[in-house]
Amino acid sequence: LPAIGRAAESPDITTLRTTLPYPRIKLAAIGRLKAGVEHLTAYPDPASPVVLLKLGRPAIEGIGPDQDIVAFSRRCSHMGGALVFRAETGTFHCPLHYAMFDAQKDGLMVIGQATDNLPRIELELDATGDIYAVGVKGLLYGRQANVLA
Amino acid sequence: MSAIYHGDDRVPIPPSDAQQFSTVCSYCIVGCGYKVYKWPLGKEGGALPHQNALQVDYTKQQPEQSGTWISPAMHNVITERNGRRFNVVVLPDKDCIVNKGNHSVRGGTHGDVLYASDRPTADRLTHPQLYRGGGQFPTTWDEAIELGARVIKASLDKWGPDTIAMKFFDHGGGGGGFENNWAVGKFFFTGIGTKMASIHNRPAYNSEVFASGDAGIAPLPSAYLDAELADTIMLIGANSYETQSIYFLEHILPNLGGATIDQKQRLIPGETHASGKLIVVDPRRTATVAVAEAHAGKENVLHLQINNGTDIALLNALSRLIYEQRWADQNFITQRTNNFPAFQQVFQSQSLDEAIRLTGISKAQMMTAAEWIAKPKADTARRRTLFLYEKGLIWGLKNYENVASAVDLALLTGNLGKPGTGCGRLGGHQEGYSRPAYPGQRPPVNVDEVAIKGGASKVFWVAGCNPVGGTLNAQSFRVALAQRTALVNQALGSTNGGSLDEKVSAIMNALDKGGLFLIVQDIYPIETAQYAHLVLPAAQWGEMNLTSINGERRLRLYQKFMDAPGIAEPDWKIMARMAHRLESAYRAEGKTEMAARFAGFAWNTDEEVFRAASAGVKGAQEDYGETTYAMLQALGTNGVQTPVQEIRNGVPMGTTRLYTDDKMFTFIPAPWPGFPRQIQTLIDDARYPFWVNNGRANHGWQTLYDDLRKPYVMGREPLPHVEIHPQDAGQLGITNGELVELFNPYGSVTAMAVIVDANAPGHVFMLFEHPKGWLNNLTTDYVDPATTIPYYKGTKAGIRRIGGLPGMNECLSFVPTNRA
Repeated sequence: LPAIGRAAESPDITTLRTTLPYPRIKLAAIGRLKAGVEHLTAYPDPASPVVLLKLGRPAIEGIGPDQDIVAFSRRCSHMGGALVFRAETGTFHCPLHYAMFDAQKDGLMVIGQATDNLPRIELELDATGDIYAVGVKGLLYGRQANVLA
Repeated sequence: MSAIYHGDDRVPIPPSDAQQFSTVCSYCIVGCGYKVYKWPLGKEGGALPHQNALQVDYTKQQPEQSGTWISPAMHNVITERNGRRFNVVVLPDKDCIVNKGNHSVRGGTHGDVLYASDRPTADRLTHPQLYRGGGQFPTTWDEAIELGARVIKASLDKWGPDTIAMKFFDHGGGGGGFENNWAVGKFFFTGIGTKMASIHNRPAYNSEVFASGDAGIAPLPSAYLDAELADTIMLIGANSYETQSIYFLEHILPNLGGATIDQKQRLIPGETHASGKLIVVDPRRTATVAVAEAHAGKENVLHLQINNGTDIALLNALSRLIYEQRWADQNFITQRTNNFPAFQQVFQSQSLDEAIRLTGISKAQMMTAAEWIAKPKADTARRRTLFLYEKGLIWGLKNYENVASAVDLALLTGNLGKPGTGCGRLGGHQEGYSRPAYPGQRPPVNVDEVAIKGGASKVFWVAGCNPVGGTLNAQSFRVALAQRTALVNQALGSTNGGSLDEKVSAIMNALDKGGLFLIVQDIYPIETAQYAHLVLPAAQWGEMNLTSINGERRLRLYQKFMDAPGIAEPDWKIMARMAHRLESAYRAEGKTEMAARFAGFAWNTDEEVFRAASAGVKGAQEDYGETTYAMLQALGTNGVQTPVQEIRNGVPMGTTRLYTDDKMFTFIPAPWPGFPRQIQTLIDDARYPFWVNNGRANHGWQTLYDDLRKPYVMGREPLPHVEIHPQDAGQLGITNGELVELFNPYGSVTAMAVIVDANAPGHVFMLFEHPKGWLNNLTTDYVDPATTIPYYKGTKAGIRRIGGLPGMNECLSFVPTNRA
């Protein structure tokens, strides 16, 4: 099988080579999060709804002392439906075409028609216990670049 | 860095002057429409509507279901043969009536499969390869065709046409289409005249639905619109949410949810209308059942969780119940059918108790199904039921009676030719079949057994399929292929540096002693190609113009928008090259009759082949008459539904649904035959306690030939999975993600356990075609003697735990997929 990877060295003259100007925005203080309860917010701007979640068990890319704090776009990466979280399975569900994404597995699509896993909001925890959003992995539905022009 | 795949965080904007092309998905039968945008690398459109080809305001967030959002998987950068680089975007067409901008995970990731030498698709076959020097190495078309032609001609002359065997695609969409199919058929049937022909997914040359043809029903009689209008839809052996996703999401679900009631009232006035009901016949509780229940409510979905192989008993029992309730369509039976008494005798001679015992379905459930299918509506109008079946039925216990019993139920209830009715295939691939007649008989010869394992053929040409994993009883097939091709390898090795004549002579000696000369034609170096003496590089979807129909006979032009890699050629051109060489060789010998068989391949364009292929579809459901590429181009992704009735003012006029006239049909009596010997032997052997069902999963397509190059998909399925019931997993000591071995006398295979209650205890379901675990090692060599179609969907195996693979579980989800 071919080595699966990206086009590492091609000198494309496109926007693919620069980093987007992601803002650093405080989402919440860590003490305010309850396990299994969605904290709804937005990032990188008000038009991109985001869910911050303390899962209650360790998650891939989870931050915090329990490594269980994650954040994702609330728009389904298929056609932008408003996702609903189900605590029993730790999954996000889309009412439009029934996609499911696993919050413990970095937004892995369990089943559905999306062409990418659910975009993850990159988080940092500062010394005072504040959680900051600092970037997005994957392209948010409905945008050409995650940071609007 | 996460082990979970995430794509880029941006896509380039297509500029207003980007080239635009019209095409259709390369994958499943549904045939969603797509628009292709192509523009030079280094250019980009602007964020304002007048600055980009989609006329979208990119400074703002798009709303849900905009139909204009480009995901990174839809975009790629390609290099043409002249070295110029282009951005390409393959975007679902919001103006296509099939998908309305929707797409599945398969069609939505077309960007990933475009050839690029610096991406995972870099290992596309670019040049012909010849076995020399102990391996496969690049050569020219001239040498490849010369050697192939000499070996084919020598075999044909010395031993006759049946010593040339083939296993080729015959479908539409990617890897098929009318153009390619016509050239293939003309070569093997008019040219060679061989009976040792087989089709990509079965060991012989047969229809998948002989019984339907015998009854007088073409495989695709209804329109997707009929799913929107039906009172009841019955899915038999299909997991449509995963395998015909957009047909299910855009046409079936809306009906079940009540969104098409207005449309029903408009198009079928004067009848009671309500939201549709769904019956699903499947040994598995699938995502289709779960999604339908979530959308329509459990009270509108009936899952008949049938015992493996007992469809015939169930369908005959339903016919009996409906007949006894006086819900049969007597008018239809009298005026439109023959042979009812023979069918009546069959369903009356199966007792209900026997049907209940065999199928595991209760009388109450059967009565509910009977009501939903045929109990008259409140106003005494007949219930409109759409019967849609696919591989669970076709590849079931006994193909002929399986399909016959479904067709009989539809005829009994008069469900053909009216809006909201039909009885036909859902489909797997798209269709694009047009060929001169197959010279063999029915039932056709089993090419796997007779030609390959049995040695009757000496040359085997395989195209667009991967039989070492995809055929039934695959392990024994692979072993035979390896042994026989090795004899030719040895012969070629003994002629190091020899002339072409010396090579051919050595090959012929090896063929005389049981060797097999293998030609594999494909787009990737698939596992079957490892054993080939000639590997021929083919062009794929997007690299040639092709035409096909989808599950409602919608014919479209799939426009070429890029070059094939290296010197790869469309399949039709490869067949034509070989035909030219054989024609010249026979002419040089003065054998004018033989030469004439290989004449008529002098096409210069894809369209010339399309026009030639119209001869092969006259009178069939695919009949496109005088339609041209220009006419299809004007019709874009909506195309025309065949048969084309006439060309009016330059526009082809199509056919929404078949049998609106007074055509006659025939009942085909189909008694339940019992399990075949191979299966009964396994049933009686305590070492193989598990029924093994199998099929596709939503995210992968067939043998994963493209998906291996889509990190997003492979992250989801690094190894094939097998669904095991929690009770069985407990007894076997298996936990999620652990490797298990499944084994029976036919072969063994490993798979990754997924513990879920989708199947009954004692039943498992495995992904059917993964290169890291070929399920078909377990399928028996049984075929229906009436049709030579395998029972892929039923075998039995023992299962043992092997152990966990560290690091794998962590990147996978074991949340059940059959809970919506």
